[in-house]
Amino acid sequence: MQDFFLFSVRAFATIPKIKRYWRDFLDQTTICGTDSIPIVLVSAISIGSLLAIEVGNLLEDFGAKTMLGRSTSISVIRELGPLLMGLMLSARFGSRNGAELGAMQISEQIDALRAFGTDPIAKLVMPRLVAALIMFLPLIALSDFAGLQSAAYMAEHYHRLDPGIFWNSVYPRLAPKDFVVGFLKAPVFAIIITLVSSFNGFSARGGTAGVGRSTIKGIVVSSGLVLIANFYVSKIVLENM
Amino acid sequence: MIELENISLKYGDKEILKNVSITVQDNTIKAILGPSGVGKSTILKLMLGLIKPNSGKVFVDGTDITSMKETSLYNIRRKMGMVFQGNALFDSMTISQNLGFFLRENLNLPLNEVNRRVAEQIQFAGLEGYEDQLPESLSGGMRKRVAIGRALIFKPHMILFDEPTAGLDPVSSKKILSLISSLRHNNNLGAVIVTHIIDDVFSVADSVAVLYQGEIIFDNETKKLHESQHPFIRSILSDNILEL
Repeated sequence: MQDFFLFSVRAFATIPKIKRYWRDFLDQTTICGTDSIPIVLVSAISIGSLLAIEVGNLLEDFGAKTMLGRSTSISVIRELGPLLMGLMLSARFGSRNGAELGAMQISEQIDALRAFGTDPIAKLVMPRLVAALIMFLPLIALSDFAGLQSAAYMAEHYHRLDPGIFWNSVYPRLAPKDFVVGFLKAPVFAIIITLVSSFNGFSARGGTAGVGRSTIKGIVVSSGLVLIANFYVSKIVLENM
Repeated sequence: MIELENISLKYGDKEILKNVSITVQDNTIKAILGPSGVGKSTILKLMLGLIKPNSGKVFVDGTDITSMKETSLYNIRRKMGMVFQGNALFDSMTISQNLGFFLRENLNLPLNEVNRRVAEQIQFAGLEGYEDQLPESLSGGMRKRVAIGRALIFKPHMILFDEPTAGLDPVSSKKILSLISSLRHNNNLGAVIVTHIIDDVFSVADSVAVLYQGEIIFDNETKKLHESQHPFIRSILSDNILEL
């Protein structure tokens, strides 16, 4: 725990060196940002569609189908959208970090960086952290957009709900706190996923099996922390806004 | 000059090094001989400040690096080049990129100077024509020469070799040993070689320290190794092999 804390502090402390590692940062924005768009879209569309179908069925029993937009938009923007995106990025971006850094650790490439005077945390971890902090926000926005669009599509084609009625129940009722809850999760998830997966990669020992173990540990721990953080961010923001 | 003074190191309950003292003079080749897994590579990492001892001190050119911060150590480490046992080349970079990587990263050299030094090392290592290949496409001996080139490119005072001939065929081993010898004669470089192969010691080393059960049981000129009466040294001299 103490090692992880020091590792995290060092990762943040090297952020002022971002200009020196600009190319690494740009590479990471592509990896965690643009390359993650397909998986984020798939998860957002599936969660938006399923919510619209299931919540619509439930509301229909109470004659409240016109509230479908309101119900699905809150779930997509505040809770399930960011959560599912966090879990997907933990699996995609986190596993890549863990495996890549773990392989570098066991092949002594990280020791080589240190031996030749390069700070491996500044070179390998900080660009990933900054890229994730920046790119997770537009990914959440994209996830919200795709989730709502797919929910609207399902509302119209599955529940035969007029799109005007759907969107009218979405926009006037969404409060700033709904967006704050959702978007605040982006930097929190970025920090958790990047630091946990990178730390586990750096801690890899025991050959290729060790890389596998550290990668799995990184995904499991970061996914668990994403679930916990999702709950607490919602709780804290909703209680205070 | 590198000095280890009364170094002790433990991993958990296991005592790796017990009160070890070694001095490596400039422009000499020192071998550290011992069976596999006794902490020979650990000694190299201590010399670079990659790990800290539990007790004792490490001096590089008279500077105590034992309690130095990581950021302060970077300048010290550039005085030494390290050739790792598995070479530790960056597998996603070409040979030229591997050789020039640390020059680009750590020294603010103009691009033409980086290219000049890379070309110099390519020629030194006899790797003309392989500049744009990835490390995985080279033989073990060639990869080792790239690793040596990468260590030399900073123009260090001393090079540290971790098992330089391990896993190489006899011809490649001979080439690497002759390369190491030439470094001292042509480039005035000192070297520390960690090895478990006694022939390597007699081929290139001026002096040798023998590490056995965490302790230095011999530290003198290589030729005097034959005079030692220590049972372990007698046994390795008679068997010529250290697979213990």
